[in-house]
Formats: sequence, structure tokens, C-alpha cells
Amino acid sequence: MSTVRRQIDLQVAVNAVSDVVQNRPKPIRSIDQIYMKTGDMVMQAELVAHWADKKKLAFIGDGDAISVCVAYLKSEKIIDYGPSQITVFDFDERQVQAIKSFAERKHIRHLDAELYNTRDIFPKANRFDRFYTNPPWGQSNDGASVHIFVERGIEACGYGGQGMIVIADDEELEWPKRVLYTTQERASDLGYFVNRMQPLMHSYHLDDDALLRSCNLFIEALPGNPSRGKSKAVDKERLKNFYGRDQNLRMRYIRSNRPLTLEGADENEWRPEYYEDTE
Amino acid sequence: MSDIIHPGAGVLYMKVGTHAKEGLAEIIERKRREIDQAGFAMWGYGGSTCYPTSMVQPFARAFAAKNEPIHLVMHKMNSRHYAEQVRAARFSVDGQKWETIPEAINVLGSRFALMIKDLREHEDELDLGATRVAVGRNEGRLGSRYVQGQADKACLIVTEPELVNAEHKKVKIDLVAELIDPYAVFLSER
Repeated sequence: MSTVRRQIDLQVAVNAVSDVVQNRPKPIRSIDQIYMKTGDMVMQAELVAHWADKKKLAFIGDGDAISVCVAYLKSEKIIDYGPSQITVFDFDERQVQAIKSFAERKHIRHLDAELYNTRDIFPKANRFDRFYTNPPWGQSNDGASVHIFVERGIEACGYGGQGMIVIADDEELEWPKRVLYTTQERASDLGYFVNRMQPLMHSYHLDDDALLRSCNLFIEALPGNPSRGKSKAVDKERLKNFYGRDQNLRMRYIRSNRPLTLEGADENEWRPEYYEDTE
Repeated sequence: MSDIIHPGAGVLYMKVGTHAKEGLAEIIERKRREIDQAGFAMWGYGGSTCYPTSMVQPFARAFAAKNEPIHLVMHKMNSRHYAEQVRAARFSVDGQKWETIPEAINVLGSRFALMIKDLREHEDELDLGATRVAVGRNEGRLGSRYVQGQADKACLIVTEPELVNAEHKKVKIDLVAELIDPYAVFLSER
């Protein structure tokens, strides 16, 4: 039985999410890192916290840092529900470091992150109750990018539990409908059914995406759903057009060149211009 | 409809004006000189709507595979772009391997550049309601829906005009150029 939701102090919640946003590295567009708008992050984090209350939750990729928001809202007692354990699996070392560092500074003991690429064998199968993923949206490969992230989430949950998948949702465009269809089909093949869908929920920081939204697609394992075997590496044929047309998955990890600086701008972004009459 | 803008044609639509404190007339004159000297010019731009590797290059390559050109079609507008006139020193096709920009080419205050030739004045009209976004997340969206608000450039395929309930939004085209391989590149000041 999950905890009953009460009204939250919106100002305190937005400020907490603002702390998380400040902690994130800048997005890399070429690998589809596009950040959700902050208001949507607040709503999403509260929703995820309630959905995964008292559960072990795996994030299969998490550029947005929803995982951190979920953990932080609970640790700051802004909400009194949330997962008992959160582990983020992401191939961007900057993100992993940012999450670990935030968890350490804020004394959030139930939040952790590991460097992992979804192409590789999943290292912690059958240890979670829920998974969350906001994957590359698969517009150029009929959703194969989404399917791979979902498969890893399902492995994390040992072919049981539930998953929340954040993918494109649009009333005008054809490709999001195809991806929604193939994702439901793939989930069904693996013994899951769609138990809820929240359409047109989130918007993103992109100057060309004023219209595009994403939805929450909730899936749940059929009772007694059997395992489909051990986790395997993904065949390279499935990596084509992973991030869009002609954008194959080639990078195993994004490595961090420098420690995350939280206090201000990167030194490469600015230069001083001094007064001549002062020393 | 024209030789450049007709059903099936690929166009990269862009609103252009002052850039990095330099007026459009001066930019055009400078770019033409560069084309005369180097055989091509780099047309600087920014924003994320026409990202080189995920948008412009796949779009242009798809047309090149059909032996069809992609034209940059530009609408003149008043703009205030006050970025510093910092010359890009290197360019990269993939964001990984970098090459020195030839001395004859000066591209200023931009993150990306289109590779162009045959830059010329050309009066035309583009009905954005008779276009669809060609690539990216908005692939298939009506051009007139897409090019609104802050979107000031787009990779578009010209279609037959929609017959019913279409949003007709015709824009004047003042300037055109042809994109050449590698179509769009990243720039670096260092």
C-alpha cells in the first residue's frame, strides 16, 4: 500500500529541483541529451516518487536527473514517500559523477549511479522492482533505441515489476505513433502490458521543440511472467540510427575531462576584460 | 513554384540579417569574394534546429544520393545579432576531427556553418504550408506549424499545397545558395 499523497509546498519543491538542475552537466545534443523543463521535472519527480514508493527503482539512463529530484524531495522531507533505493545506470561519466557527488553532499544514502552502456550485458539483473527510462526516442529506427532501454529495465526487474517509459507523443506526427506502437508490441512480447498512459505530459529545452511533447507509458509484468534468459550484449545491427538518421550508437562512454564545477561557469566560457587604471 | 522551390525539392529555409555586428549586404559581398577565391564559403549560423550531424548532413545526403541539390533559401529580415566578430579557426564535419579553415574564408561569431556555393540574389516565394519538416523529431510536421515562434530555420521538403484546412504562410525569399558536401560543419575559435 503506497503512502497517501498530501499537498506539497510548491516553492520548496521547485527550489529543491533548482538545486538539482544547477548540479547537472550541460547536455550533449549529438547523443540526444535534451533536458525536460523544470516545472515538468517537479511534477514528474513527485509522480515517480509516489509510483515507486518503498520500491527499489532502476533508472536506465537519466540525463534529466529525475532520479536525483525523486531522492532529494524525499530526503528533504518535501514529500514523505519515495523509493527505498535508486540506482542510475548511465553511459555519461559526467552524469554519474554529478549524481554521486550530489548524493554525497546532501547525504542521500539511497541514491547511487553506475557507468553503463545499454549495449552491454546488464550488470545488476533481477535486483529492482521498478524501472524508469527516458531513452533516445527512436524516430529513425522504429523505436529500436527505446526497446533496448526498456529491455534493460525489464532485466533490472527480473521480468517482473513495472516500468515507466518516457517517449515522444504528438498528435500530428507519424513517427511517435509508430514508436508507441512498436514499444507496446515489444513490451507485450516480453510479457508486459500497458497499465496506464499519460499523454502529452512534458516539454523540453529545445528551440525547435515548442510543439513536441512526451508521455508517460506505464507497463507492468503479467503475473508469473517467466524470465527470457540471461542478459546479452546488443547486436550491432540494432545500433543503427540509434540517435536519429545516420546517427549510430558508437560511443561506449562519455568520459569526463574535468571535475564538475558547481559554483559557476566553466572557465572556457568567459574571459576577463580589465580596467587599465587598476591593478 | 520555381526551379528551386517545387514539390519534392529539399530546401534549408533560414531568416537572415545582421550577424556578429555585420550588415547583410557586407556579409553577402564578403561571401561572394570567398566563393571566387576558395570555390566555396561558410555561412555561419547557430541554434539547435539545424544541428550539423543530426539534421543538415543526413538531410542533404539523402538528396545527394538521388542526385538532387539542396538549396539554402533565405528571407531577409531586420535582426540584432551582436555576437563578437570572432573568426573561427577550425572546422569539423563530425565534431571529432578538426581541420584548419582556409585563410580566404572568414566565418565570424558562429557555432556552425553551412558549406555553400553559388550565392545569389533570387526573388521567390516559399509557402511554408506546402512544406514538411524533413528530418529530426519534427519530421513530417507542417512547415508553417514548425517555423513559428523562435524557429528561424528549418530543413524542409516542398510538397503539393494542402487543399483543406492548411495554414498558408508564404514567405519572401531574397537570397539563395547551393549546399555542397559536407553541407554543415562545427566551428571552433581555437
